[in-house]
Amino acid sequence: MTSSPTPLMIEARGVQKWYPNGYHALRGVDLTVHRGEVVVVMGPSGSGKSTFIRTFNALEDFQEGSIRIDGISLGNDLRQIDAIRREVGMVFQQFNLFPHLTVLDNLVLAPTLVRRRSRAEVQAQALTLLDRVGIKEQAQKFPGQLSGGQQQRVAIARALCMEPRILLFDEPTSSLDPEMVREVLDVMRQLAQEDITMVVVTHEVKFAEQVAHRVVLMAEGSVVEEAPPAQFFKDPKHERTRRFLDQIL
Amino acid sequence: MTPLLRRLRSDLFATPADGALSLGLIALITAAAVGLLRWAAQKAQWAVIQANSTLFAVGRYPQDQQWRLWLLTALLTAATGITWGLLRSHPRADRDGLLWPRNDRLVLGLLAAVGLWLPWALRLAPALQTRWWLLAALLAASRWLAGRFGTQLSRPMLRLFPLVWPLIYLIGMVLISGGLGLMPVSPSQWGGLLLTMLTASFAILLCFPLGVLLALGRRSDLPLLRWTSVIYIEFIRGAPLITLLFLGQNILGFLLPGGLAPDRIWRAAWVLTFFAAAYLAEAVRSGLASVPKGQVEAARSLGLSYPQTLARVVLPQALRVALPAMVGQFISLLQDTTLLSLIGLLELLGVARTVMANPAFLGHNAEVYLTLALLFWSCCAALGLGSRALEQRLDPQTLSSSSSRP
Amino acid sequence: MPESQALLDPAHRPPWWRDRRVIPWLVQGVVALVLLVLIAFLLGNLIHNLTTRGMLLSWRWLGEPAGFDISETAVPFSAEMPYWRGLAAGLANTLRAVLTGLVGATLLGTLAGMASFSRNPLLRGFTRAYVETIRNIPLLLQLIFWYFVVFLSLPNGTAALQIPGVVLAKSGLYLAGFGQGLHWSLPQLVNGVWQAPLRLSVEFAALMSGLIIYSGAFIAEVVRGGIASVPKGQWEAATSLGMGWFATLRHVVLPQALRVIVPGLNTQYISLAKNSSLAVAVGFTDLYSVAETTLNQTGRALEVYLLLLGAYLAMDLVISLVMNGLNRFVQIRER
Repeated sequence: MTSSPTPLMIEARGVQKWYPNGYHALRGVDLTVHRGEVVVVMGPSGSGKSTFIRTFNALEDFQEGSIRIDGISLGNDLRQIDAIRREVGMVFQQFNLFPHLTVLDNLVLAPTLVRRRSRAEVQAQALTLLDRVGIKEQAQKFPGQLSGGQQQRVAIARALCMEPRILLFDEPTSSLDPEMVREVLDVMRQLAQEDITMVVVTHEVKFAEQVAHRVVLMAEGSVVEEAPPAQFFKDPKHERTRRFLDQIL
Repeated sequence: MTPLLRRLRSDLFATPADGALSLGLIALITAAAVGLLRWAAQKAQWAVIQANSTLFAVGRYPQDQQWRLWLLTALLTAATGITWGLLRSHPRADRDGLLWPRNDRLVLGLLAAVGLWLPWALRLAPALQTRWWLLAALLAASRWLAGRFGTQLSRPMLRLFPLVWPLIYLIGMVLISGGLGLMPVSPSQWGGLLLTMLTASFAILLCFPLGVLLALGRRSDLPLLRWTSVIYIEFIRGAPLITLLFLGQNILGFLLPGGLAPDRIWRAAWVLTFFAAAYLAEAVRSGLASVPKGQVEAARSLGLSYPQTLARVVLPQALRVALPAMVGQFISLLQDTTLLSLIGLLELLGVARTVMANPAFLGHNAEVYLTLALLFWSCCAALGLGSRALEQRLDPQTLSSSSSRP
Repeated sequence: MPESQALLDPAHRPPWWRDRRVIPWLVQGVVALVLLVLIAFLLGNLIHNLTTRGMLLSWRWLGEPAGFDISETAVPFSAEMPYWRGLAAGLANTLRAVLTGLVGATLLGTLAGMASFSRNPLLRGFTRAYVETIRNIPLLLQLIFWYFVVFLSLPNGTAALQIPGVVLAKSGLYLAGFGQGLHWSLPQLVNGVWQAPLRLSVEFAALMSGLIIYSGAFIAEVVRGGIASVPKGQWEAATSLGMGWFATLRHVVLPQALRVIVPGLNTQYISLAKNSSLAVAVGFTDLYSVAETTLNQTGRALEVYLLLLGAYLAMDLVISLVMNGLNRFVQIRER
């Protein structure tokens, strides 16, 4: 880690969320993420980990606590929310590519509409990104014609095309056939080497060990343990963590 | 026994019951077909159609102003031909298209048959015949031109082309009703196929945005919008169209200040529009429901605003799914224009009934009805085929983002 | 710069036009305002215009003598009876037509729907042709065809079409049945006029032919869709158990298909109920037809319209209630 304090990208304090039916999904969660860090969030299903990271770009709201993204506080101001969404990219478990647009158009849509850049410029950038994730030849295909691994790589490229400062990954490989998990993780590994801040919800232990700066365990709506991967996997402090690791290792 | 005969036997005569059924059906169909053909060729007097062809086509539109309608038809024909040709010369991004696929050749053959043979068979006046032949030629020529030279059009020109259609619609309105130096022709003189097409196209064009708005309102989280949409839709869907048309004719005058009321034809057209919008809303609603929530989430997380998400992500997908149901509504709308004859408007059916009441053509109801039935059937079937072709082009097979191939 | 400072301040209260919580209320407020203004405008004009004509809402005219006859009715009615009785007679006729139509169309549609899956390609083709032809021709045109081209051209008197127990003449359809005193009697020609225990007018017969054949085609599509939704494996399993085509359909496929068919039938039934209003075109005096005459004579547009709308909405509601009950009965209980 660096010696001088790096800027805080994500600062979440005491976040509480109740669903309309009364279910207490987040019970006072704290998390800080510095620029350039890769944080992996793990936990059993229903632990609230997906819900938590979705609060970072206002896909989920919260009732108590505070969240600041790159210094901007998440509240009820639409302008703030729009500003945050421009800087936070998200990759979904279900890919969520736009099926009626070609791969290239999927990437080009948001930057031209939201950042008002010229189509030619964005297209050039998009092709470079597609090349980086290894799908340049599929640029004119439609998502339905691609395999799952290819679609997820396009999704990553699409998020990158907006040049976000933070990338959120919500179980990006959970919907993929095993042989395609690796190609997506490879792309994510590459990204982790660069300066982008990443928060990844996943079950992939090897990925976390190799790439994460910190691993966070969430269970029943709160953070149980937070540690660098070496310590997290080899010498966890909490019983709950040990139980969880027993299940997945 | 040859394979064909064997198959026929196993398909049609597998059991005695099957055999009897098949024989019965064959007898029935042959008898009906023969009877119909014999009647059509010998006993039927088609003069009734020929003598009234103009009445059927445009109602009581003044004779000396009918050139405007011919002009409009020519414009529409050219636009159709060019659009068709352009569509074929610009296949979808990931597909290679043929310039003259088999379907196109079939359609062209059919059009040639109808456009060239029919005017002659109906023994129309030579002037009329020539005009129909010219129109058919115009269609074929514009189709060929657009197909051949379409790829040479620049991209901005291509994007602007669809604007031609609303333009023609506006020009058409001026041509039909007058103004701008043309002699005005009051709506009460519009009739026949002209009136049918006019009211149907008016209602189809306007019910579409209204229906989409209603569908969006129906699914809205805001209670007021939702309840307003629900009340409107259920109110309209509960009432027979004839009662609404009747209402439009009688009460609309009272709803406006000073009892001023637009012409009866416009009243009916607006009623048709509001009626169709409610049904269209239901079709669009099921389309909207088919778009996975993840699409909206992805769009919003990319920073797209709500209107942008709707326009670029949700509606394109929703409308593709809803397309068959929507076209079904349009076909119903076309058929519903016949109800205008029950409130005294002389569209196609109304004209037909006037013709049949004419003592000179007594007893020739069947010929008239058959012609009308054929005309409606062709239009509706054509719309159905067009919709299927459109679906093909927007192939739903590619419309599933979370499906993956091994 | 104060603006960006505000963005960073956690206690920052956004201006109302950017506040996520305020905007839904704002939008609804604007819509409510627009609607209220519109309704006030229209209603105001309506009341004003009606008052100047002395035609404001009143129901007393319902008691006045109607001045027109209704020849075909289950409820006896003649010119000196009050309007409300005439409307009731019309309603009775509508109900008669709708009920008969529902039964007939369901039978025809179910048979046609099942026939689409027959092994016999002739039958399948025939059914397909039926559905495709009927769906693309307007109902009104079909009704008028049945009435003017078919039924009114029927011969009369001794030349009427006769098969045992049924007589089809220009004056009506006569059926054998139980006459007075529970005697089974056949149609008879008495002084050149046909008589029988059960007589249907030509108007009714034309309306029924048109409605049943038209709705039958749509119901056939609903049934076909329902049967198609049953997985092919069910057919195969039944055949391997030795069941014939018809038995399979009846005991295995149709019960499962009903889950999909019943909601579709709801739409078609409501459609038929509303289409019955086209009876005015064939001279059958149903509710709409009586209402139209009433309105033409009394000028009471608003009241007549409210009655009409109420009656049809009530019919739709009843049909939906029954079908929803049926739907719950038909849904397969899952684990």
